[in-house]
Amino acid sequence: MLSFQEYQIAFAAHIRDPKNNPRPKGVPANRMGVYTHGVYLNVKEAVSACFPVCQSVIGPRKWQQVCKLFFAQHATETPIFREIPEEFLDFISTTDLGALKLPDFFQQLAHYEWVELAVSAMPDTMAQPGTTDDLLNKAPVFAPHMLLAYDYPVHKISPSYKPAEQAPTFLLVYRQTDGTIQFNELNPVTYQLIQQLEEGITARTALLNIASAIQHPEPEVIVTFGIDILKGLREQGAIV
Amino acid sequence: MSTLADIQGTGLGIKRELIPQIQSYYKRAEPDALIRNIDFVEIAPENWIGASGKYLKDLNWFVEHFPIACHGLCLSLGGPDPLNTAFLKQVKQFLTDFKIPLYTEHLSYCTDYYQGKPGYLYDLLPIPFTEEAVHYVANRIKQTQDILGQKIAVENASFYAAAPMSNMSEIEFLNAVLTEADCWLHLDINNIYVNSVNFKFDASEFLRQIPGERIVYSHVAGHYQETPNLLIDTHAADVIDPVWKLLEEAYQLFGTFPTLLERDSKIPPLETLIHEVDRIADYQKQYHASNQTLAAC
Repeated sequence: MLSFQEYQIAFAAHIRDPKNNPRPKGVPANRMGVYTHGVYLNVKEAVSACFPVCQSVIGPRKWQQVCKLFFAQHATETPIFREIPEEFLDFISTTDLGALKLPDFFQQLAHYEWVELAVSAMPDTMAQPGTTDDLLNKAPVFAPHMLLAYDYPVHKISPSYKPAEQAPTFLLVYRQTDGTIQFNELNPVTYQLIQQLEEGITARTALLNIASAIQHPEPEVIVTFGIDILKGLREQGAIV
Repeated sequence: MSTLADIQGTGLGIKRELIPQIQSYYKRAEPDALIRNIDFVEIAPENWIGASGKYLKDLNWFVEHFPIACHGLCLSLGGPDPLNTAFLKQVKQFLTDFKIPLYTEHLSYCTDYYQGKPGYLYDLLPIPFTEEAVHYVANRIKQTQDILGQKIAVENASFYAAAPMSNMSEIEFLNAVLTEADCWLHLDINNIYVNSVNFKFDASEFLRQIPGERIVYSHVAGHYQETPNLLIDTHAADVIDPVWKLLEEAYQLFGTFPTLLERDSKIPPLETLIHEVDRIADYQKQYHASNQTLAAC
């Protein structure tokens, strides 16, 4: 380590966590303050923009504490600004934040909020609308999307609704052609259906698999039920 | 396809809120249109690499309509961790994909080795001005130029805290790095002014020592006065008169060069903001004309 680098590292360490790392000798407090204040605020803003609900549910004081810990303790690896929220997500899911007494659903809520960003950033599908002309016998092509299973109804959480009890929740988040992100709540069967379709099999095969798994006496009923769901998804732009 | 020669005249840094406004004012056929003086634009690769959907469409629109310069924020030329060559390769691909002829970066660092792990702080931190640091940074600039297969420009950065071990002045450091790395200069006029107040030196004197032949383009911007002795380079205000005056001085000294307005927050409507771009263009006309006259004498 070169001597000027030791200084740089001490300087940055003080910015990250002023309480636990002394200000480098010879640097005036008011000048150092520009950095300890400004650099943290930048990072906090980059994180906060992605997690408005998390923020409002735990309140500004706790949010500040989480952001400060993230900045102080997490060595973010990406130079791409859009990827900072993912680093935050990684931090809260790998760090013991027990002392902050965050709600049990906090991590999953953060994940759900990040999904919107992740789906908007997914590569465009090259498929033109109308590609899936035969919903039943051809593997359908999906718009950029994520299929999600949570333990809490994360899409309903707000400052006035903070569920204490778990309730399995299945969601499809997808991007319409104009860039709008849509969220659909799914029943467990539709979730299973989409899960199988993602593997590239046809809807008929997937629906017959489901019928046999639940030992349905009339598998064609399930097929008919499934086709209606897929039509709906195509109308909404989840299937292109 | 744009080449380096297309980065000329006056430019404007692109922020998301400006995009629809510029697009709606874009009328190629009208020479006196509102945005007639936007000759080129600038983007940060860290905001646009991997863009998809609507962002990709916007990016492609700019590629089609303006020469673009890439002005990076996170390469960390002065950082203590190894240069992020994987990221540089992404930058290289980005420049190729979007036909961007120029990449510039800051003479600063934005990464550390916190608790043994390299990490980003996403801001411009000061490099101590020492011989050792000159060689270190120049080597990283050379490494960058090797990977990209093209010259880059580095910007004189604003800063607020002088490293106690610095034994060179900022201008000595800047010149030593430019010479050793043999790279271009992205001259930030506002940063000269901000630093001259923060560290009590003569901005004109600093400017006179700039190697004019290395200037690829320049920035003007506004800043925030925290105290009379401490200016913060926020890019959130109008350009102030002393900075305009410094730009004029630079044109007098070195002839005109491409100049771009940076405005990152508290952005007024384009109809207002454009006056500052126009003002740059006015100075350029004025000093271009006076240089021509001088040359004719």
